[in-house]
Amino acid sequence: MTYRRRSLRVGMVCPYSFDVPGGVQNHVLGLARYLRESGHRPYVLAPGELGSSAADLGLEDFASAGVAMPVPYNGSVARVNFGPLSAARVRRWLRNGKFDLIHLHEPITPSISLLALWAAEQPVVATFHTATPRSRSMQLASGVLRAAIEKIDAGIAVSESARNVVIQHLGRDAVVIPNGIRFDDFAGGRHMPAERTAEWLRSAQQPRLVFIGRLDEPRKGLDVLLAALPLIKQARPNLQVIVAGQGSRLLPAGCRTLGTISEESKIALLGSADVFVAPQLARESFGIVLLEAMAAGVHVVASDLPSFVDLLGARHDRRRLGDVFTVGDHRALAQAVLQVLDHPDPMRAKRAQQAAQNYDWSSVGTTVLAIYRAALSTAPAKRTGSSMG
Amino acid sequence: MSTLEILALLIIVMVILVWRITWLASRVHRATMRAERTWSALDAALVGRARRAAELVTMPGIDPATALLVLDAAAAALEPDLCKGDRERAESDLSHVLDAVDPMLPTSPTELASERARASICRRLHNDAVATALFLRRRFTVRILRLAGRTAEPRPFEMEDGSIAL
Repeated sequence: MTYRRRSLRVGMVCPYSFDVPGGVQNHVLGLARYLRESGHRPYVLAPGELGSSAADLGLEDFASAGVAMPVPYNGSVARVNFGPLSAARVRRWLRNGKFDLIHLHEPITPSISLLALWAAEQPVVATFHTATPRSRSMQLASGVLRAAIEKIDAGIAVSESARNVVIQHLGRDAVVIPNGIRFDDFAGGRHMPAERTAEWLRSAQQPRLVFIGRLDEPRKGLDVLLAALPLIKQARPNLQVIVAGQGSRLLPAGCRTLGTISEESKIALLGSADVFVAPQLARESFGIVLLEAMAAGVHVVASDLPSFVDLLGARHDRRRLGDVFTVGDHRALAQAVLQVLDHPDPMRAKRAQQAAQNYDWSSVGTTVLAIYRAALSTAPAKRTGSSMG
Repeated sequence: MSTLEILALLIIVMVILVWRITWLASRVHRATMRAERTWSALDAALVGRARRAAELVTMPGIDPATALLVLDAAAAALEPDLCKGDRERAESDLSHVLDAVDPMLPTSPTELASERARASICRRLHNDAVATALFLRRRFTVRILRLAGRTAEPRPFEMEDGSIAL
């Protein structure tokens, strides 16, 4: 194999800005870090500034695609790049980068990923993050963008449900590779040194329930949790409820918000939690925070979205790794939380932690590299300047 | 409308039509070529997998019965000039044998595991490329105008990958 040992120049395109935290952004950063640690050269193109969350990326490897504009798209407001100026930037980046292959994230959105797919002459690997059951954009795409979709050499889906979307709406297939986490960071979170922990962490004498996610976005499901709170508090008056995430919103008494938190605080927060609740209503392709909670050894209670069930196991499965409840049903959520608080199952938390270890970048990244090699081995000779052995 | 205008319009329509057809033909060609390349990659990956499997025989501490089982399946998969159906069966059998012997091996063969993963990835890429090519080749315009030329129709490779961690 020609590419077995050689260091690869990988051009990664992230459609969302690193200014704001998000699953896709974290995935790109995590993968870039893994690639660099294994001796490859990742380069990242994304809108906006690098941002503090991406500090370890390195300025020389990052290129900005310009300011993204907020536009309503597919049911929410997306900050995207489009137009001839962005297209020219993307083309220039592709030409100057001399990449062995390019790795696009969410290629079928009006974004620099799609522009890069359009302009790419290198082998293309594309990761699909969305698992919307009826994605309007994907349906439209299969007609309009058929030719662009054909250019993808290897597809990656972050979950089986995301893969199903790719199969049904794009007529393509994808290898399922889940998102990666930094397992050791989270698994060690329970033993944080006292001086590094904030004031809010030390009062962890009472049981603690944690929610992490945007506070002002309905689909993250905070409303379901808030509706369930009176029921939970009735049975467990001493329960501490902490929510963390971007956005402002009015919270009821007995519910504490930390606002946007750093990666380190997230690790500490999960390390101090007893129950982690993921009440998402829809469109959650992959529960990365869920995995991080599992890595931290926290009991997980999540809505029964397909990707969550894939991860945690069905409701009455004896080997399940967490508890799922009917999407949007606050009574079921309350019941599940109380069940966990009344009868904690340390063995299940242990199993969940072991399962989360499989999602560490060290193993997830190996599979991504295997996809890169497979894509390169099927690339035509002229596109890579090297023939297949 | 004057004759000249009609003629001009006709020419424009023709140009667009020819451009569309050329474009479609290039897509058909690209998809067919890719299916051919993914097949050679899959072929190479399957050969690599069978070779690694055969190497298990030299593993210290392996019992002769297991060694014979693996060697037989690997040799069957490496048989030259198998027809597609036979090859699919032989490769599936090798997957089953590897699954069966895996818990009985003295040490876990990491090289073989990565070859198996590679074969599985290559197979998915190949079948995906074949599906794309077939979808294009079965379009009405492509069939009527024979845009696929005389290139052979690509076919998917169906086999059991076995229980590999992917």
